[in-house]
Amino acid sequence: MTTTTYSLYELNSLVRQTIEETMYHEYWVEAELSECRTNRGHCYMELIQKDEQGNTPIARAQARCWQNTWSLLEPYFEQATGQKLHAGLKIRLKVYPQFHEAYGFSWIVTNIDPTFTLGDMARRRQEIIRQLKEEGVFDLQKGLEMSPFCLNIAVISSQTAAGYGDFVNQLADSPYNFSTRLFPATMQGEQIEQSIISALNQIYEAYEAQEPLFDCVVIIRGGGATADLSGFDTLALAENVAQFPLPIITGIGHDRDESVLDMVSHTRVKTPTAAAQYLIENLDATMQRIDTCLDRIMLYAKGKMETEQLRLARFAERIPALFSLVKVKQDALLDTLSARLSPVVNLTIEKQRHQLQLLEQRAKALDPALLLKRGYSMTLCQGRILRHADSVKPGTEIETRLEQGTIISIVK
Amino acid sequence: MTYEESLKQLEDIVRKMEAGEYSIDELAEKLTLAQQLISQCRDKLNRTDTEIKKILEKS
Repeated sequence: MTTTTYSLYELNSLVRQTIEETMYHEYWVEAELSECRTNRGHCYMELIQKDEQGNTPIARAQARCWQNTWSLLEPYFEQATGQKLHAGLKIRLKVYPQFHEAYGFSWIVTNIDPTFTLGDMARRRQEIIRQLKEEGVFDLQKGLEMSPFCLNIAVISSQTAAGYGDFVNQLADSPYNFSTRLFPATMQGEQIEQSIISALNQIYEAYEAQEPLFDCVVIIRGGGATADLSGFDTLALAENVAQFPLPIITGIGHDRDESVLDMVSHTRVKTPTAAAQYLIENLDATMQRIDTCLDRIMLYAKGKMETEQLRLARFAERIPALFSLVKVKQDALLDTLSARLSPVVNLTIEKQRHQLQLLEQRAKALDPALLLKRGYSMTLCQGRILRHADSVKPGTEIETRLEQGTIISIVK
Repeated sequence: MTYEESLKQLEDIVRKMEAGEYSIDELAEKLTLAQQLISQCRDKLNRTDTEIKKILEKS
């Protein structure tokens, strides 16, 4: 048996011919992307398929997408999935085989199916969600109560992001005295998970030390064009957010599906500006509640005052009537007293007059002049009436009064 | 002197007068005092009436 020896080129040409003749179709293939880089507009990928345990690769191949195709497929894929092609993604590609004598085997990519990747991402998200629910942490954030006076905000964002500036400016423009502190984190690429967890840990330390006192955490991403957001869909990050003791507001800026982070956070908004708006509205609502209470107090006080005024008015209406009663009574009393006075006075005067008359009569009856007239006389000694002859000594001068005249005599 | 005090004094005078407790010398003096008290009490009643009406008109 003769043994033919080929040159490498000849042998490689044989392989190329065989492939070209037997595999001249295009094929759809599902694979995981283990490497992806672009060079001069061409995209170079490495595809793998792992075993069922997901550890050991059981197939591996190079794939290329030439610049003319890639310039169409890249924006198409990004627009549909919200992320760039990167290692770890499951993708579905339309390929044809190419074997080049000098460069070896490669699949040439002519199309890509973003819905497959989306489906795979959704499956992964579902898996994370299932796990979070199983751990009983999925709804923990929803049970936290947002402080009605939420003013001290811990912010996780990239320091240079425009969204962070918008957020801070919007809060500063509000009528409330918000205080924010930035915990810088990388908000894109593979660093997302570790970076945010580390920032959360710093906030937690501050929370434990109670200095400063944060009311809530805001995780915002700086806007911009579509970027790789798959970093927000990891189990470790979701667990950290879900179990965080302070309410977390996410403003990561997804246009399409909710990320797992959004699902487990206390409140999900679309943009950093919306996060600021949410915080302002929270305080607006609180102010509204206070105003309502104030209104109710005022209303109650006004009502109470009106009732009291009415009561007073009713009393006031009764007062004149009551007083006129008093007045009539008092007037009558005074009239009575006044009426009693004059008869009493007259009576007294009359009584006295009568007494005088009696006295007068008696006095008249006793007048000595009457006795003298009848012939009696009276004898006085030193101006006093003499009743006993013994009461004068001989030689004493006595005076005898007669009706007409007076006799002076000496006692013998 | 309050209205009550005036009224009490007036009643006292009338009562004593009716009981004949005053001498003639005191009589005129007490009668004058009684008339003064009556007039004071009437004044006070009328003034209070006017005042009450005024206060109620204001409120």
